Amino acid sequence: MTRRAAAALCLLSLLALAACTGPQSALDPAGRDSATLSRLFWFMLAGAAVLWAAMNGLMFYAWRVDPRPMSVRGARTLIFAGGVVLPTVVLSGLLGYGLSIMPDQRAPGDGLRVEVTGEQWWFRVDYWPDGAAEPIRSANELVLPVGSRSEITLKADQVIHSFWLPSLGGKTDMIPGRVNRMSLEPTDVGEFRGQCAEFCGESHAWMAFTAKTLSPDDFAAWLTAEAAPAAPPRTDLARSGRDAFMAQGCGGCHAIRGTPARGQVGPDLTHLGSRLNLAAGALEVTRPDLIAWITDPSAIKPAARMPAYDHLDTGTIAAMAAYLEGLR
Amino acid sequence: MKIHVRSVLLTLAALAALGAVGAGAVVGFGLYNVSARVGHWPGVSWILNTTFRNSAALRAPAADTVPELTDAMAALGARHYDTACRVCHAAPGQEKTATTRAMVPEPPHITEAVQTWSPAELHWIVDEGVKMSGMPYWPADRPDEVWPVVAFLMEVKAGMTGQRYDRLAGRDDGRAPEGFAYCASCHGATGAAGNPDIPRLDILSQTYMTQSLAAYLSGARGSGIMAQAASEAPEGALPGYARRFAAIAPAGERAPPTSLGAAGEAIAMAGVPGSDVPACAACHGPWPEPLDPAYPSLSGQYRPYLEAQLRLWRDGARGGTRVAGLMHEAARRLSDADIAAVSAWYAGRAPARIPSDRARPAPGEGDAPGPRSRRPSPDQGRSR
Repeated sequence: MTRRAAAALCLLSLLALAACTGPQSALDPAGRDSATLSRLFWFMLAGAAVLWAAMNGLMFYAWRVDPRPMSVRGARTLIFAGGVVLPTVVLSGLLGYGLSIMPDQRAPGDGLRVEVTGEQWWFRVDYWPDGAAEPIRSANELVLPVGSRSEITLKADQVIHSFWLPSLGGKTDMIPGRVNRMSLEPTDVGEFRGQCAEFCGESHAWMAFTAKTLSPDDFAAWLTAEAAPAAPPRTDLARSGRDAFMAQGCGGCHAIRGTPARGQVGPDLTHLGSRLNLAAGALEVTRPDLIAWITDPSAIKPAARMPAYDHLDTGTIAAMAAYLEGLR
Repeated sequence: MKIHVRSVLLTLAALAALGAVGAGAVVGFGLYNVSARVGHWPGVSWILNTTFRNSAALRAPAADTVPELTDAMAALGARHYDTACRVCHAAPGQEKTATTRAMVPEPPHITEAVQTWSPAELHWIVDEGVKMSGMPYWPADRPDEVWPVVAFLMEVKAGMTGQRYDRLAGRDDGRAPEGFAYCASCHGATGAAGNPDIPRLDILSQTYMTQSLAAYLSGARGSGIMAQAASEAPEGALPGYARRFAAIAPAGERAPPTSLGAAGEAIAMAGVPGSDVPACAACHGPWPEPLDPAYPSLSGQYRPYLEAQLRLWRDGARGGTRVAGLMHEAARRLSDADIAAVSAWYAGRAPARIPSDRARPAPGEGDAPGPRSRRPSPDQGRSR
């Protein structure tokens, strides 16, 4: 390889560093757990760098500095020390360190309790504030308060999924018939992205969610708003969209609190208009995206469970989109 | 004697070539006489007939798959027989026509035709048809629909009088009914004949019936019985029949509640929790707001009919109008117990249409075309 090509390759590899920041990076922590994991990563990277330098140094020494054969005794000592003693000491140290940070990762959450259920292919999100008899139900978006440890209960509907929000913590599998748990303690206010991290079918790659962290006061205000019933439509278009939504049977699968629609098969849409994503991260909550989704969901997410409504005329679908967009 | 392999092979090849040329001449120059008047060569009829009998006996479904054959099924079967089969096989109390008697092979009179067959074998013959005999196969992939015809045929086998046939087939004055009376001969002049295998129509919207009739005619909704009935109707008459049935006020009382019905109500109103079955009521009522008239009302519909249709939906065999995809998804996870429960509940409700008129009722229609106008379905308005 020429020197110029090597330099170009080095420059290109710098591009990969762009992935080290952003809304979905374990190297850009915004929570106590992700900070710990990030520290573990840098610690191990540093250790690996030292070992790599030491190994190459030894090789260089044996090859260039002193190429004479060692004595049998010296070689035996070196192999025993470098091949048995050193790995045992280093790996034991790492294991001890790793085990020592695990209890923190699994610490019980003493703040908010949230239950997240993996569905094909979206996340059902139930908030259980203290003393609540019924959850405040949402979907595909996790909102957490900064500064306290939230308890996350993880379930799955039909197949195994995995809940992973790299900016805030590690990942945990969601297994049908089993209740897993984790806890997260966000430290920074921001918007993040999570992703299903276990192959779960055709649209696994389209199964993502957004997360928002808020100051405790902002969070309390948000939760109050989220618990409220849906806003009534304000425009004529949105009103006709609401009528169409109720006439077309959408309420059999979707709930919009404050209306007859109480279905629990698909995502709750009560405050869809205020969410940061549509269809589990596949789209945004804009009118064109809503129209595209209602018209033919499986054209956007393969094998999506929601049936296509392309038998409706475009005006009806546009009105529905206007209504849903207004559900803030 | 010494055999020359080469000579034998050459002789065989020459004979084969000669045979091929001869066969080609028969086909190409029309040397074989296909005249029905001349008939088959001696023995050919026996070969064909024996092959047919053995083939049907070999392929008939197992005897334990035969359902209970009821009088209601026989009544439905008789009416279908009268429009689809009587033209060739005549009927109890009737003679075959002169033209039918001149067919080769001559279709046997129905009283003779059924004599040697079991119900399972009759099902196979009616469902599959018989090649090169003129016997057609069932014009839809609906084996369940063939059993009513078998029920009728078993009654014929047991001995059926001409009067009994005329009564069963709805030929009150000895003639087949026509026009709306033809529809009413099965579905009743009030839209509710009381036969649990024949759906009541007095609860359905004009939109739903018009779209369904178009779907039967195009084959989008598979039904040998309704495809035959729809194709019998005069061209363009179907929407008029839908309008007449839609003008009938549904009559009937709700049935006393049962525990099965209560289980069905829970499913209809809230779906099956944890099983992704949506609430039936969101499309089929009862629902607190107007619904699209493209969705059929189920309130008061006959239970065996509901169960049969739900099984077809669940198993993916049920076609329909452009909204059929919704129901395939909704019924995917229904168990047999769910189907029984939800059918029992809807059947027990007082017969009723779903309110569908919002602020702007369409002029001159029995029901409004939904909240907004719908794109016409491609199979709508299709002429045959």
